[in-house]
Amino acid sequence: MAANFWESSQYKQLLDQEEVDVVQPLDKERGISVEDFKLIKFHMSNHIMKLAQHIKVRQRVVATAITYMRRVYTKKSMVEFEPRLVAIACLYLASKAEESIVQARNLVFYSKRLYPDDYKYELKDILGMEMRVLEALDYYLVVFHPYRSLSDFLQDAALNDVNMNQFTWGIVNDTYKMDLILVHPPYRIALACIYIASVQREKDITAWLQDLNEDMNLVKNIAMEILDFYENYRTITDEKVSSAFSKLALKP
Amino acid sequence: MEQPKKVADRYLKQEVLGQGTYGVVFKATDTKTGETVAIKKIRLGKHKEGVNVTALREIKMLKELKHPHIILLIDAFPHKENLHLVFEFMETDLEGVIRDSNVLLSPADIKSYLLMTLKGLAYCHEKWVLHRDMKPNNLLIGPDGQLKLADFGLARIFGTPDRKFTHQVFARWYRAPELLFGAKQYGAAVDVWAAGCVFAELLLRRPFLQGNSDIDQLSKIFAAFGTPKADQWPDMKKLPDYVEYQFVPAPSLRSLFPSVSEDALDLLSKMFTYDPKARLSVKQALEHRYFTSAPSPTDPARLPKPLRKQETKASYGKHEAIKVVSPPRKIRRVMPERGRVDGMKSHVDKDQQAPMSLDFTVLAERPPNRPTITSADRSHLKRKLDLDF
Repeated sequence: MAANFWESSQYKQLLDQEEVDVVQPLDKERGISVEDFKLIKFHMSNHIMKLAQHIKVRQRVVATAITYMRRVYTKKSMVEFEPRLVAIACLYLASKAEESIVQARNLVFYSKRLYPDDYKYELKDILGMEMRVLEALDYYLVVFHPYRSLSDFLQDAALNDVNMNQFTWGIVNDTYKMDLILVHPPYRIALACIYIASVQREKDITAWLQDLNEDMNLVKNIAMEILDFYENYRTITDEKVSSAFSKLALKP
Repeated sequence: MEQPKKVADRYLKQEVLGQGTYGVVFKATDTKTGETVAIKKIRLGKHKEGVNVTALREIKMLKELKHPHIILLIDAFPHKENLHLVFEFMETDLEGVIRDSNVLLSPADIKSYLLMTLKGLAYCHEKWVLHRDMKPNNLLIGPDGQLKLADFGLARIFGTPDRKFTHQVFARWYRAPELLFGAKQYGAAVDVWAAGCVFAELLLRRPFLQGNSDIDQLSKIFAAFGTPKADQWPDMKKLPDYVEYQFVPAPSLRSLFPSVSEDALDLLSKMFTYDPKARLSVKQALEHRYFTSAPSPTDPARLPKPLRKQETKASYGKHEAIKVVSPPRKIRRVMPERGRVDGMKSHVDKDQQAPMSLDFTVLAERPPNRPTITSADRSHLKRKLDLDF
């Protein structure tokens, strides 16, 4: 698996955090700050997760969809690529790429149900955006996620009880509310999540981690980033999200 | 005559090469590089499903796979609401070579074709990609004689535990026994079996195991290799669609392939091992002494090729009685099963099969009619049709 990742297009496409945090010129003109940019992506990640819960797709599809969405915004502006439409198109595209296809009209149906007041997109809008997203992604569709290595690692570290599994899995899910997947190899994200979980649950896995032949500083840095995110998470309010969207002249 | 049109400001459109269910394939010149390319235009299904899933699967795989023996996806772009895929232009395919009785294949030529096939496949497996549709007309041959795996519309990434796959993959004649018994979890070994079938087909100059139903396919396999015993393949009886077959002893492989070398025969038998766990991996196949013993594989540039389209036409006039060598390439390529091709060939072809060294008395019956498309195959074919180009 790992050997696989190192040769993948995803590895070659990994970006530095500074590259991910570039607000596109068109968005900047509307007064979007880096903070707004992150908030909107955060909000849209939640949106994709919510929608996915209704149409019942595997977590893998959700993770891929969010990755697509985040990749799109490293190249395209939110002014031109309206976030909600992008979110739905990414979920649709991911369901195809991950071989658990959902009907596009179901996506329209549930979007309308989730937002009865102001949902304005129809099937043809989603399909049009699907093509634009595909182009923005430069047709790279294979995405590696931390989940696979997660179960292997947990087993190897003898931490694979149900409780620990669920807890760590939950942390990994939360990392998709950030841009980690664009910046770090997935297995390293998995390690960071395990590290956090082990500390939280007071299980000493230092010896196991040291045996891994992995630069633990890199893992710890990611873990710190995740913890910072949880810290900031509490300060995210609906008002802040609304204000970011209003700069784009859009409702969240 | 239509003026040549430039597509996406880059490609000069030339003649249409073929017509698939989801759109046309045409030849074009890439004005950026001067190279000849093949462009597959994928129509979007009447604004109902967006980008076709099979096409998407092929793009997804080919964006990750870059290798001298894998078809090169040069570019992809939307144009007038259609998705266009740009491939390197390939002259013919292995089926064209095998079927052309004017082409004489020496043991060294066969070795070269098999070597290139296995190299491409080994790369896929290294990348955890199952091709799942290995057969001669998906092995394309470039102007330089290089063979490349194409048509990744059925390919899947494997290695994910507990992932259930469909067993309705491969054209039937190339399907491994575990698939025919309905296995849902299978691996790289299915591609090895199919590659073994291609190898056999190169040696025999006709498809090796031509079943006309899944049941019949298994009986053809058992007639050739003997009904597997439990100790040969312990997991067999646990497979979902397992049915017991009457015991048939294996004829000697030598009797089926009377004129091939010991090394070729040994490699062949190992690629056709019943138990997928014991079957040779592609990597092991490449390390087999067949590839190091004499004769050494022919340099691809010097491999014999079927006659080009125009030349074929030309030779038509001169030798009225000679059968159609092969239909124009693209027409053949959009036909997924050879069964369909027959109708397009002249009737002379039927009786005048390619020379074969297989003694059918061993199989106790005459070669069957080409399989008709069963309903089980139809969805498979439909998917395939989008992708053939």
